[in-house]
Amino acid sequence: MPPSTTAAVQLNRVCKSYGPVRAVDAVSLEIAAGEFFSILGPSGCGKTTLLRLIAGFEIPDPGSGQLRLFGDVVDQQRPYERQVGMVFQNYALFPHLSVERNVAFGLEERRRPPPDIASRVRAALELVRLAPERFRSRMPAQLSGGQRQRVALARALVLEPRILLLDEPLGALDLKLRKEMQVELRALNRTLRTTFVYVTHDQEEALTMSDRIAVMDHARVVQIGTPAAVYERPRTAFVATFIGDANLLDGERVALRPERVRLLPPGTPANGLVSRPGVVQDTLYRGDTVQVIVALHEGGTIRASVDCTAGDGAPWRPGDHIVAGWRATDCHPLEAEP
Amino acid sequence: MLAAPGVGWLVVFFAAPLALVAAFSVMPRGPYGGVEPGFTFEAYQRFLVPIYLTTLGRTLLLSLACTALCLALGFPVAYAISRSGRWKTLLLVLVVLPLWTSFLVRTFAMIFLLRDTGLVNQWLLATGLVREPLTLLYTPGAVLAGLVYGFLPFMILPIYASLEKLDLALLEAAEALGARPAARLRRVVLPLAMPGIVAGSLLVFVPALGSFLTPDLLGGAKQLMLGNLIQNQFSAARNWPFGSAASLVMLALVLAAVVAWLHLRDRAEELA
Repeated sequence: MPPSTTAAVQLNRVCKSYGPVRAVDAVSLEIAAGEFFSILGPSGCGKTTLLRLIAGFEIPDPGSGQLRLFGDVVDQQRPYERQVGMVFQNYALFPHLSVERNVAFGLEERRRPPPDIASRVRAALELVRLAPERFRSRMPAQLSGGQRQRVALARALVLEPRILLLDEPLGALDLKLRKEMQVELRALNRTLRTTFVYVTHDQEEALTMSDRIAVMDHARVVQIGTPAAVYERPRTAFVATFIGDANLLDGERVALRPERVRLLPPGTPANGLVSRPGVVQDTLYRGDTVQVIVALHEGGTIRASVDCTAGDGAPWRPGDHIVAGWRATDCHPLEAEP
Repeated sequence: MLAAPGVGWLVVFFAAPLALVAAFSVMPRGPYGGVEPGFTFEAYQRFLVPIYLTTLGRTLLLSLACTALCLALGFPVAYAISRSGRWKTLLLVLVVLPLWTSFLVRTFAMIFLLRDTGLVNQWLLATGLVREPLTLLYTPGAVLAGLVYGFLPFMILPIYASLEKLDLALLEAAEALGARPAARLRRVVLPLAMPGIVAGSLLVFVPALGSFLTPDLLGGAKQLMLGNLIQNQFSAARNWPFGSAASLVMLALVLAAVVAWLHLRDRAEELA
């Protein structure tokens, strides 16, 4: 990749080791300015270390690749020199400071005049939809999880960072609040045109919010692409099973999404489908869909996701003889795992 | 009803002895110790002569200096221990280790260090820094050194306890927001360590105020501190009312210190 000045973040074969353990292994990626970019992977895959490298809390291994922000090599810059904002996993609000003082902290460190600080703090609180009059003088301990999250966002955004780094910021929230915040974060990214780099282990979250996703496993980036591209065309068996659900066929060389598998009564004409007879082994009720596990006569099992439109749960019962069918084009070939 | 055992305990072991001391302090002294019936403020008036006021001032000064030195030495040590990973336990044991030996023995050890032929003077002479041994023992400086040495663990441990709980992400958050190391210390570490600093300062200041063994052994028999004065009044001088009055003066100082420190702790936020 030639160095481009437009990229907000550019990593070129960056490594980070802790003793003998490689936490980030030769990672190269480019994040465009204004993009909502997610780093997705299981715990321990190195995604948080990657974020901390961008933030400046970690320095790349000597002799490994470069890290550029908006074209500048920042390997030796401290976090506050990089003009990046960070939202921490458990928010890291200062427990001894009120909401107002928490948000004002960075402005005070920059020696802004007090009236300026007051108006910026107020604007930042309004931006994250916390009524300044109500919340200004509260202490972090008096806030709910969602409110703390908003304060942490306001505290980072008030400095107008070029890049906002978010480390699993919604992990501690309940599902309803999480969905709400997903929409709001996305809207913030759009209105502020700030680059968002978002670390998560929640594939659904990454698919919903991101412009692009980098999938990480074992310290390496396995695949980078739009949510649709990563979901529809997973590169490896790991990506196929980590993002969404997938049947792995032909010795893990082919992925088939369960929602692409159709279940037919025995004897139905194949109609150009690849078809395999089998017996229903179990059904898992999921509300909007039912997952049917079919034991194939030829050996192995295949999972099919069936809409629950009938309203009476699974249309199939364990022991039913059926035929599982799919279009050959729904099968997606996979690369071998490195 | 449930509070009865607690209240009873307090009355027998705390309120009653204190009332007794208060009563003694306003009674005439008996010729061979003890007190006689009557009521007088003589003991308190006696306190207002320069020699006793000097003792009072010196006691305050030494105790404050001891607290300040313990804080200056103890905070960095506590911080280092709280960040020392797997060495933590060992280092904590080393801090507590001196407390397992008798305070008396440790004070005598200070004498061996500080006397004219002691280790400190031997070293100073050997390196040629001085030609003649310095008079270190039986000075206020020796008393201060003894007090700091004796009370340092009581400063380190509570500060360590509050630093141990400090979430490192808070320091990173402060750094991301532009706070340099000094600002992180002042605005994040110190305010959050304040409960430990207040507790440690009280644990050092209060017993330093009442100490009599250290000034007696290291300061020479010069009634350097209030503790020596009180001890002397109850033993050699046989002036129980005066000793009681001095004890109450000391109690008042302790209470004032507690109130002042608690006030300081509640204002910790303004520090940031």
